[in-house]
Amino acid sequence: MLHTKVINIKEKKLSILEAENFISSSQFGASIFFSGTVRNQNDNKSVVGITYDSHDALVIKSFEEIYNEADQKLNIKDKAVFIEHAKGYLNLGEISIIIAIACKHRDEAYVLSRYVIEEIKKRSPIWKKEHYTNNESEWLKGNPIVHEKN
Amino acid sequence: MKVQIELFGASRDFSDKNFLEFEIKKNSTIKDIKNKIIEYLDKNFIGNENFKKIVNSSVFCSKSNNIVSDNYKITSNEKIAIIPPIGGG
Repeated sequence: MLHTKVINIKEKKLSILEAENFISSSQFGASIFFSGTVRNQNDNKSVVGITYDSHDALVIKSFEEIYNEADQKLNIKDKAVFIEHAKGYLNLGEISIIIAIACKHRDEAYVLSRYVIEEIKKRSPIWKKEHYTNNESEWLKGNPIVHEKN
Repeated sequence: MKVQIELFGASRDFSDKNFLEFEIKKNSTIKDIKNKIIEYLDKNFIGNENFKKIVNSSVFCSKSNNIVSDNYKITSNEKIAIIPPIGGG
């Protein structure tokens, strides 16, 4: 069971409650909620906010691929996965990503939660532009996507 | 024929619009598009090596939302997206 969405922050905020409602089921005994929030410091610079940019279709496709891989690579068959990522300008402390996982047992839930966030970092086309207290702003360098057929 | 390159992430600084548009020959490839963008940057952002680095470390996405290789052939009036190095979460 999978829910994925890129949320335009001008329209709505990410909600842990919605994530909880989606993954909640008596067939699962373990739930993990991960949220990423905007931090006030990066590389010794004082951050006031972050603009997130996203190639929405490709992001959703990557979320679905990551979910499907959990079957094959991690052998976690029974699961509920909720992934939402924000796009637009976020202030300090606001939630940029929610990953909520429910599995039968805690071992699988911890493994899957970590797997999903690490794969998103490597593969999902999302970009951050940091805004600083001195009114400057900068796109973060990021990691190139590797295209295996090249 | 025309091709539109949708800009994302750091490549958004290449233009005030959300895209670049080029006239290209039939059977042009992603590699040709990269060269077109570099030419455009050389003309409009003289000496900005960072912008060129962004292009050289980017991949490209077809209108069917697949990451495509350098020898992918562009179809008529196709919309291609440039995908610079990523870092969400």
